[in-house]
Amino acid sequence: MKKTYNRYVITVILVGIAFHGSALFFTLESSYDALTHLFFAEHYVDNWFEPWNTKWYTGFTVMSYPPLVHQSIALLSIIGGLKFGLFTVAFLSIILFITGVYKYSLLITSDRTIASYAAFLAVFSSSFVETLHIFGQIPSIIGIAVLLHALPEIYLWLKTGRYRYLCSSLSLIAVTATSHHVTPIFGMVFFIFPIIGMAVLDLSKDQVGSFKEVNFTLFIKNFKKQFKRIASFSTLSILLIIGCILPYWLNSKNNPITQIPIPHGSRDNFLEITSSGLIFFLIPWGVLLFLWPYFFYRFFSKRYLFFGLSFSLLVILGTGATTPIPKILLGENAFNILTLDRFTFWASIMSLPLFGEFTHRFMVGDLKKFTQRRFGKLYYRLLGCFFVGLFLFMTIFTMSLGYFRPSQPKKIKMLPILNFLNQDQHDQWRYLTLGFGDQMAWLSAQTKAMTVDGNYHSARRLPELTTRPVERLENSKFTGIAGIGSLQQFLTTPEKYNLKYIFSNDKFYDPILYFCGWQRLPQLENGILIWEKLNVPPLTSFLTKEEVATWQKILWGMVPLLALILAFIFNLPSLFVTIFNTKFRPKANYRQYHNHSLSFSKGLLKTMHIWTGLLLITIMYSLYDLYLKNNSQRTPENVITSYYDALDLKELEKSFYYIDPFSNVSISQYMLEIAVTDGLLNSYAKLDALEILILKKTDSLVTLKIATNWITPLEKVSKVNYKTVVKRGKKWYIVPNQLDSDSPPDQLYSNNITKYFNQGRKKISTEQTYHEDVLKQPVLEIISAKLVKFKNHFALIGEIQNIDNVPADIVLKGTLYNDESKELAIYNAKYHVKHKLMPKEISSFRINFEGIAWTKTADAIPETFNPDEFTPIAFEEQPTNFNLQVAGNVSNSDLYKDLALSDLKINSTTIKGTLFNSGLQEITVPQLLISYYDKNKNIVWVDHLFLKRGIKQQRKKYFEYALLKNDSIAIINNDMSNCFVNGLPNKNISSKIVPNRIKKHSTIALQKIIHPNYAYVKIEMNSYIGNPN
Amino acid sequence: MNFRNQLFFLFSLFVTCSVTGQEIMKKKRDFVLISKGTHFVAGSTITLEFKGNSAISCEMYCANSYGSTLVKPQLQGARIFFKIPAYLSTKTGVLNWRIVGLKQPLFGSFKIVPKESPSALETYVGPPSIEAGGSDYSMLVVIPTDNLDNPLRQDTPVSIQQQFLASEKNKLIFTKNLIAFKHIFSPLKTGRMLLSSEVLGLNSKEYDINVMPAIATNFNIYSNRNHTYADGNQITTFTTSIIKDKNNNTISDGNFVYFFITNKIGDLLKTSGTTIAGVATAKIIHPDYEENWNIKAYILGMAESNTLKIKYKKVIANFEVAFIKNNRKVTVGPIKSFMGQLIPDGIQVKISIYKDKKILNEIIKSSREGFVSFNLNQSIYKNGEYDFKISTAKVHKTFQSITLW
Repeated sequence: MKKTYNRYVITVILVGIAFHGSALFFTLESSYDALTHLFFAEHYVDNWFEPWNTKWYTGFTVMSYPPLVHQSIALLSIIGGLKFGLFTVAFLSIILFITGVYKYSLLITSDRTIASYAAFLAVFSSSFVETLHIFGQIPSIIGIAVLLHALPEIYLWLKTGRYRYLCSSLSLIAVTATSHHVTPIFGMVFFIFPIIGMAVLDLSKDQVGSFKEVNFTLFIKNFKKQFKRIASFSTLSILLIIGCILPYWLNSKNNPITQIPIPHGSRDNFLEITSSGLIFFLIPWGVLLFLWPYFFYRFFSKRYLFFGLSFSLLVILGTGATTPIPKILLGENAFNILTLDRFTFWASIMSLPLFGEFTHRFMVGDLKKFTQRRFGKLYYRLLGCFFVGLFLFMTIFTMSLGYFRPSQPKKIKMLPILNFLNQDQHDQWRYLTLGFGDQMAWLSAQTKAMTVDGNYHSARRLPELTTRPVERLENSKFTGIAGIGSLQQFLTTPEKYNLKYIFSNDKFYDPILYFCGWQRLPQLENGILIWEKLNVPPLTSFLTKEEVATWQKILWGMVPLLALILAFIFNLPSLFVTIFNTKFRPKANYRQYHNHSLSFSKGLLKTMHIWTGLLLITIMYSLYDLYLKNNSQRTPENVITSYYDALDLKELEKSFYYIDPFSNVSISQYMLEIAVTDGLLNSYAKLDALEILILKKTDSLVTLKIATNWITPLEKVSKVNYKTVVKRGKKWYIVPNQLDSDSPPDQLYSNNITKYFNQGRKKISTEQTYHEDVLKQPVLEIISAKLVKFKNHFALIGEIQNIDNVPADIVLKGTLYNDESKELAIYNAKYHVKHKLMPKEISSFRINFEGIAWTKTADAIPETFNPDEFTPIAFEEQPTNFNLQVAGNVSNSDLYKDLALSDLKINSTTIKGTLFNSGLQEITVPQLLISYYDKNKNIVWVDHLFLKRGIKQQRKKYFEYALLKNDSIAIINNDMSNCFVNGLPNKNISSKIVPNRIKKHSTIALQKIIHPNYAYVKIEMNSYIGNPN
Repeated sequence: MNFRNQLFFLFSLFVTCSVTGQEIMKKKRDFVLISKGTHFVAGSTITLEFKGNSAISCEMYCANSYGSTLVKPQLQGARIFFKIPAYLSTKTGVLNWRIVGLKQPLFGSFKIVPKESPSALETYVGPPSIEAGGSDYSMLVVIPTDNLDNPLRQDTPVSIQQQFLASEKNKLIFTKNLIAFKHIFSPLKTGRMLLSSEVLGLNSKEYDINVMPAIATNFNIYSNRNHTYADGNQITTFTTSIIKDKNNNTISDGNFVYFFITNKIGDLLKTSGTTIAGVATAKIIHPDYEENWNIKAYILGMAESNTLKIKYKKVIANFEVAFIKNNRKVTVGPIKSFMGQLIPDGIQVKISIYKDKKILNEIIKSSREGFVSFNLNQSIYKNGEYDFKISTAKVHKTFQSITLW
C-alpha cells in the first residue's frame, strides 16, 4: 500500500489551531472557569506536594479537583508565567480534541475521509466552541479528548487481546481520570460500554459474515468468550480511576458535599427559562439538532445499537428539568450536584462521526445523487447553503456570545490592587472582592493575601456559605436576597474571619458596607473602591489546616504526571503514525467494517424533511413570540415592562422614548429630573418582580396598578405605583408623573466644618508603626445597655456616647450567657447604630443575634426571605446575662451630621415628618433610628427606617414610619456590670471623664406618643453619602 | 546524765563531725577555684580558672536569665579554664555555675553588671492625649540601656525635661527595677506638652502629649434668620456662645451640640451642629405654618444652654380651589405669601378624599409657581359624590358632596 500523509487531518489541525487560537486570547480569560483553573495551577507552582490552600474559603484542599491540568499549567508556567501555561494547555486541548475526534470517528466509521470530515466539523462544532471559549472548561475538554483517544485502543484490546493495547488504553484512562473526575465515570457508561458492545458485535459479524445474521444468542456467546478481556479491562480501569486520584475520592468521602444546591441553568426547564435553553441546549446542539432523525436512524442500526442506547440517554439527560426523566434517572442528590450540560456536550461529540458521515454523503456521496435526482440541483444547492450558513452562524454566534451578553465585568487592572495588598502589611488580613466576577480568581492567583470567598463552590467549608444557594459572596446581588443576607453576615462580624479590606467594583454594595460600619479609602487608579473596617485583628501566623497522610500527598503530586508520561510512551508512536503515516502499518482491525453499501432511504429523507420543517416552524414561532414580547409599545403592559426594565438597567434615554410625547417634557428636562433623584431606590436597587394590574381600560387610555419588588443591598423594597398610559397612533406611551418641586432657599451658601486627618505613620518605615504614632482609642461610655426579648428573639439594646474629644468609629460586640455563665451567642451590631460618632454624640444601638440561616439543610429556604428579616439564633438554653464590648477607633471619614428633623406629625400608628439636609453634601440614603421607651423613660427597643430616596442639599424629604404594633418586649437583664469600653470597665470610665453626668439629659430628647405599650420614642438620624465631594 | 551533760555531748559531737567533714572535703576535692572576681562588666571576657586534677573529664554547666549551656574546659597543665560564652556574658544578672563530672559538687555564682554609660534610651509616653484639669495623667517611662541592651544599674539618675506653654521644668528621677518613670498630671490649660529625658549626657528625642479640653460647661444660644415668616423656604441658623470647659478652655473642635426644638403642640424637632473654636452652628428650615418654637441646646449629659423662644408668623391666610374637567381636576392656588407674592415652590398641599365620611386616600403634592393640581383618576375614583379636605400650611378647606363624573 502506498504511504500517504493524511493530508486532511493535518489540514484540520492547522485550521483548528488557527481558528481557535486567534479567538482564544480574546475569549478564554473572560470565560467562566479558565481563571479558576489558573488559580489552582498557581497553587501547584508554590506547593506541589501540599494540598492545603489557605487563600480561599478560610482554607480548602485542592484534592477536591483532579490535578493533571493544573499541574501541567504549573509546570509550563516555569517557562513563561501562568498565562503562558494556561494558553499552552488550551492549545494542547484543541489538538487533542481534534485528533481524538478523528480517531474515534475512524473507529466508528472505518473510513479515513469520513473521519477527517468529522474532525473538521468538530473544529467548528458549537458545543466545543462553547465549552472552550464560553465556559473555559479545559479539564473537561482534555478529559473527553483523551477518552476518545482511548476508545480505539480499548476496541483493539477486546478484538485482538494484545497486551500492548491494554496498556495503552489503560494509560489513557489514567490520564482522563487525573484530568477530570466526572468524565471517566460517565465515560465508562456512555462511551466504553457501547464500544465493548460494538466490539462483540463485530466479532460476531466476523463469524457469520454479515450483521444481519448476528443474533442475540450469538452475541451472548461471544460476550461470554470475550468476558475475560472485558472484565480484566473494566476492573483495571476502575482500579485506575479510583487509584490515580485516590486522595480525591477520600476527600469526597470525608467532606461530602452537604451544601444547599446552587441553582444551575442546566437544571432549568428550558421551555420556561429560555435563556438557559439557549445556552445549555440550542447552542451545544446547534445544527446537529436538524440531523437528529439521521443520528437516531444510524445509531439504532445493529452495529451501533449500544451507541444508540447511550446517545438516547445522553440526549434525555441533557434536557435538564424540561422533562422529569433526568431527575428520576439520576436521583435527587446527583441531579442537584451535577451540571447537566455535560451530557449534551458528550451527546454532541458522540454524534460527530455520524455528522461527518452525513456531510460526506451529502457532499460527495449517495445523498448528493439521491437529492439531486429527487429534487433537482437547485434545491440541493439551496439546502447546502442553508446548512452551511446555519452551521457558520451557530459557530460565530457562540464564539462571540461573550460580546453580545457579557458574562463578566470589564477586565480589571489588578496591579493597583496587588500593590495595595503588598503595602503596609495589608495582606496580613483577609480581603473580599465585590463585583469582580471570575476575575477574582486571577487576583487570588497573583497575591499572597487571602479571601473569605472563592470560586470553586464544591470546596466551601464555612456553614455561612454552604447553607445558602450562593455560589460566591462576590456576586451575591445576582443570587437575590439569600446572597445579600449571606454577605451581610460577613460584613457584620468581619473579625471572625479577619476580614479587613473589601475591593468593590460595583457601587450596588456601597450602602450596606457603610451601614455595617465600613469606611472608604481613596479610590484606586483602576476605579476600584477600597472599604476598610477598623478594629479587626490580623491573621494569626499559624492557620489551621486539615492534614492528610504523606502517601496521599506524594500520590497526588506524582501519579498524574506519571500517568501522562506512560500515556506518551504507549501512545505517541501510534498517534504519530496514524497522522503522518510515517511507516506502513496494516489497516487497524476496525477499518474492515466500513459499510460501502449505504444508501439513503426515502423514508429517512422524508422524516428528515418533516423534522426540519417542524424545527423551522418552532423557530419561527419562537422568534415571533420574542418579537411580541419585545415590541415594547404594542400593549400597555409591554410599555410598562420596557420602561421599568430600561430604568433598572439605567438606560435613561431609552426610557424617555416611552414617555408620552404630548406631555411637553423634553429629553433634556427628563434626564435632568431623573438624574437629580439619587437614593436607595434610584441608584442601588435591582428590579426583582413586576406585577401589572389593569384597573381601567379604554381604547386609548389605560390606568394600571404596578406593584414592584426591588432588591436593594439593605432590604427588600415593595412599591405600588399607579400609572396612566395613552395610545398615540399604534404605540402606547406613559404619562409622566410630576416630580417634587421643592426648591432650596440659598443659591450659594457656606458652612464651616471640622475635618480630621490621621497621619498614620509619620515616618516612612517598613517596621511596625512606632508607638508614638498610634492614637489613643477614643473613650466611649455605655449609657445604658440591657438584654431584651422581642417576640422570639433576643437582642441587646442601649445607648452609647463618644465622650472623647475626637471622632470615633465604634464596634459593638455582644455575648449572651446563661445562668451558669455558659456562652450562648456572640454577634456585632449591624445597622442599628451610628457607627461614626462625633465627640459627645450619642447613638442608640441594638445587637441582633443572628444564627446561620437554614443551618439544617432540611429547612426550606423561605420564598419571601428579606435580608432585613434575619434568622434568629435558636437558643437551646435561656440567655440571662450579657457581656458588651465596645471598641472605639479614631475615624476621619463619614462624619456628615447635617440632617435636621424639621417637622413632625404623630398619631397612634404612624410618625410622619420632614427631614431637612442643611449641609454641603447630598445624602444618598438617610436612615432613622427610632428608640422606644416605656412610661418610666427606660429604653426598651430600637428600630430603624431607611428612606428610599436621597436628600439633596437644602431640600426637604418627607418620611412616614409605622410604629410597632403591640409586640411583647420583655427586659431580661439590665445589669451593666459586664460592659467594657476598649477593654476597660465602663463604670470606671464614666466616673473619670463625666463624674457628674446630668441624668435628666438622657430623657429630654424623648417624643411623647400615644401607644398602649410605649410612651415615648427618640428619633436619631444617620446618613450615607454616596458621592462625597 | 543530766541535761547539761547531754547538751555538752551533743555540741562536742557536732563540732567534731563538722571539722572532720571539712577535712574530708578538702582532702577529696578535685578542683579549686582560683578566680577571685564576683562582679564582671557585661561584654567583658569572663574566664573562671581552677586548679586541680586535669585528668578528670568534666564540663561546666552555667545558667543565667538568658539561658543555660555546658562549657568545655581548656587545660594548661594543672590549671583548668572555663570561658563563659559571649551570649551569656553580655547579659546582666546573676550567673550560676556548676562543674559536672566531679565526685564532689563544685558550684558558685557571680554577677554580671551593666556598663556605666548608656548608649540608648528606650522611652515610652502614653496615652498621647490627656484631659486638662489635673486629674487625668500620662506616664513617661525611660529605660536607659548600655550598648549590649542591658538596662543600667539601679538608681541611675534620669533627668526629665518638660515644657508646657511658658513653663519649662526639669526633674531628676532614678531608675528602679530597670526602669525610671514619671506620672505627668494634666495642667489646667490646654496645649501641647513636650517631654524629653537625659541620662548621663545622653538625650532622648522629643515626645509630646496633647492636653485636650475637659467637658463643656453651660452656654448660651442665639438665632439668626432673614425674616420671621413661616414660609417654609428660609433658613434659621442657631449658634452657641463660645463653649468653655470648667477651666475656661475652649472645648475641642467637633463637639456635637444637639438643638432640641419644642413646637407649639409639644412635638420635639431637632437639629445639630459641631463646634469650631467653641461655637456650634446648626441650621433648620422655617416651618411652613405659624409656630412658636422653644429651642434649647445640649451637650448631652454634660452641659446645656438657655432656652430661646422664637415665633414664626403666618404667611398663608387663604387660598382658592377650583374643580374643573368633570370636577376631576382640582386646582389649588394661587397660594400667596406675606407680600402677596406667589409662595416659593415646594410647599406641601394635601388633599384628603372622603366617600361616605370614610377616608379613601390622601395625596400630597408640592406647589409649582403657586399652584398645585390633583387629577382624580376615573378608574380609581368612580363617578359619584365625594367630600374633599384640602390643607396647606395648617389652613384647611373642606368641600362637601362634589360630584365626579
